[in-house]
Amino acid sequence: MDNNQIPNLKTLLGRGRGGGLRGRARGGYGSSTQGDEAVRDNAVRGTDQDAAGSRVSCVEFGYLDDPYAKFFATQSSTRRLPLLNRGTYVRTSAIDQLVDHFLTTPTSTQKQIISLGAGTDTRYFRLRDKYPNEPLVYHEIDFATNTTAKLQSIRRHPSLQDRIGDSHFALKPTADSYHSASYNIHALDLRSLTTSSPPPLENLSPTLPTLILSEMCLIYLHPTTVSGILNRLLTHYVSPRTPASLVLYEPIFPHDAFGRTMISNLSTRNIHLPTLTAYPGLVDQRARLRQYGFGDGCRAADTKFIWRVWVSEEEKERVAGLEMLDELEELELLLRHYCVAWGWRDGEGEGEDVFSRAWSEVREQDGG
Amino acid sequence: MSIGGSDLDRAITQLRACRPIPENQVRELCYKARELLIEEGNVVGVDAPVTICGDIHGQFHDLMELFRVGGDVPDTNYLFMGDFVDRGFYSLESFLLLLCLKVRYPDRITLIRGNHESRQITTVYGFYDECLRKYGSANVWRYCCEVFDYLALGALVSGAATALEPTDGPIADNVTVDLPDPEQDIEIETLNANGEVMFRYARNGDSQSSATSQGNSNAASSSPVGPTPSRSGAAGTGATSSVNGSARNDTGAILCVHGGLSPLIDSIDKIRLLDRKQEVPHEGAMCDLLWSDPDEIDGWGLSPRGAGFLFGADIVKCFNYKNDLSLIARAHQLVMEGFKEMFDSTIVTVWSAPNYCYRCGNVAAILELGEDGSNAGFVRRSNGDRAGGGRGWILGSNAGPNGTSNEENRRLSSVLGESMQRPRDGPGRRYRVFEAAPQDSRGMPAKKPVADYFL
Repeated sequence: MDNNQIPNLKTLLGRGRGGGLRGRARGGYGSSTQGDEAVRDNAVRGTDQDAAGSRVSCVEFGYLDDPYAKFFATQSSTRRLPLLNRGTYVRTSAIDQLVDHFLTTPTSTQKQIISLGAGTDTRYFRLRDKYPNEPLVYHEIDFATNTTAKLQSIRRHPSLQDRIGDSHFALKPTADSYHSASYNIHALDLRSLTTSSPPPLENLSPTLPTLILSEMCLIYLHPTTVSGILNRLLTHYVSPRTPASLVLYEPIFPHDAFGRTMISNLSTRNIHLPTLTAYPGLVDQRARLRQYGFGDGCRAADTKFIWRVWVSEEEKERVAGLEMLDELEELELLLRHYCVAWGWRDGEGEGEDVFSRAWSEVREQDGG
Repeated sequence: MSIGGSDLDRAITQLRACRPIPENQVRELCYKARELLIEEGNVVGVDAPVTICGDIHGQFHDLMELFRVGGDVPDTNYLFMGDFVDRGFYSLESFLLLLCLKVRYPDRITLIRGNHESRQITTVYGFYDECLRKYGSANVWRYCCEVFDYLALGALVSGAATALEPTDGPIADNVTVDLPDPEQDIEIETLNANGEVMFRYARNGDSQSSATSQGNSNAASSSPVGPTPSRSGAAGTGATSSVNGSARNDTGAILCVHGGLSPLIDSIDKIRLLDRKQEVPHEGAMCDLLWSDPDEIDGWGLSPRGAGFLFGADIVKCFNYKNDLSLIARAHQLVMEGFKEMFDSTIVTVWSAPNYCYRCGNVAAILELGEDGSNAGFVRRSNGDRAGGGRGWILGSNAGPNGTSNEENRRLSSVLGESMQRPRDGPGRRYRVFEAAPQDSRGMPAKKPVADYFL
């Protein structure tokens, strides 16, 4: 075949993608119909099983030690490529490190963690094993479909109930919430926190030093909605004088070739990342944390930096030995496009300056 | 049945439409291919003109785009540097099509082995699963793996011209760089997928400056750089001076290998002595050739991939000098711009899988080498500055890292001796850069790409 007989596939581009673009244009923010929004919310809820599968893959290959991950995953195939395992490992262990520093910093009071969009996350169960004597109040907030599924998994597996320390875990199968002195699952749409009459969050202490976690959660919301949610959490649910902090894990750099491809790929799955373009780099992430009122520290690092600097040499060697990794350039590309950003206020009340003490030694990345 | 003649053409037609061929045909094809490959040495001799391609990774639609941009087989001669399979959704169709073309036009297409042409790697990175999914058994995967064992480890291209035949392609719209005088010899040219010139770089042969550098090992560091600031990326150093200012239009051979060099291999003849007909070993020379990477280091380093080594400019220059090479072409590493020349253009990475894994957003490239003799009347002019290929020259930036490193030159002259600083002129290099084909092209089945992210 002469090469000019080979069809130029690009000529098909306009037609093929035009429909998609029109579809998106109709569903733009602000003008989105109820139906579009429901589709998006569903897609966001679905990301939780994606994360659960990735976690199981990491556990099966020995990256992470998490005996609870398998109880929550429903995907039939959870095997992930080595580079994704490595990325999930870096993400999970980075946040673990920040949480560990927080929990091991002595205070006279209990501590509180609020995990936004927690989904199937197993952190509470792992922390119970790691710090059995640490008085901790743990809150998870997610859509009711996700919390219901989580509670059903807990009901099915006695080892999970054991960790909750509740021998009378006799909830109705349809229950979407759970409350105890140490573990709370709240079924609600985060956006409802910004309404004029915000719903009560049971057992949430306004005075305990509070760490808020957002692992790929707030990224799915509009920047002003995010500000509103955090404002409510940091001034209404938690007193403005209480030491508080926020740890974010999310993608960065939407404007380069990889970032543009990510946005376009995810949009075909109905997943949109509104804050990504609002806070494209590490500098923007730090500035945003300051805006939320974290006056005592605003830091950020991409996950490539975190792998290089936060992970010890022995641990790097152990992880590198788990699987042969042929995707080095791709891994680097991927790791440079996700970051952990953490900001804190020391507050005035009990547990004052716990975050400054906890995180003063945690290195961030320059610039960015 | 036997696959040959019209059967083979039918299979090619079917595979070009991205439809797998029946299992018995695969078996026959693989048998034929093995008979052919077993006759090839570990290092296949290839004559220019030839178009050199890097990783394909089962991105079938992009392979079709490659043929559209580079010309179809058998009109264009191709050399594929391995990694045909894994990662993409159409490893099977891509590899079988290339294999069919190899059997049909054995002198027109050369396939060498990449680190993914291995039983172990294909079970992790997708080709095994794909075969199982498409045929319901692992037979086809096994036939293909047997072919992998017979693929050559490298290729040696000879007879490449030092200057490119000028293309009559129009200048791309967004090009702002001054293109060299049409009278000058073209060393590097970059074309986009439509054949429009995006970049053109003249080889400013200068007998005087090379004569100077001959007697003075420091001349390299003091020799002038590229003629205009816009070309400073291709800042020449003495390292690419021409030889003695004499009129010559031949160039050293070009070694093509998937990964790179090995500390166990100091000559091409040593590659020829390896027993290649086996699964890729975990270590040793054969493994290194398929796994190693060039890096900005001195000498050899440990590879973070867990196989192969890292090797520095000194290793490449020494190897090229000893083996009378003007260039090493290799693949193996994703480069966002499609190709990347390093170490004073003594080695180039060519990457031919655009938007790799449907996620990376990169462009792809192929490297065309012209046939020597097309400009037999070529006489090197003494028209000023010598500016050979640059250090770390890549498309788009037109800017290499840091210009000339005096320190490197000093180090090289101490390690290699002064003559080593003047390797042979590289061949004229035409890079064609192209983007990913759309996935929803009509007439070809295409799975919607679902790239994984951390969600």
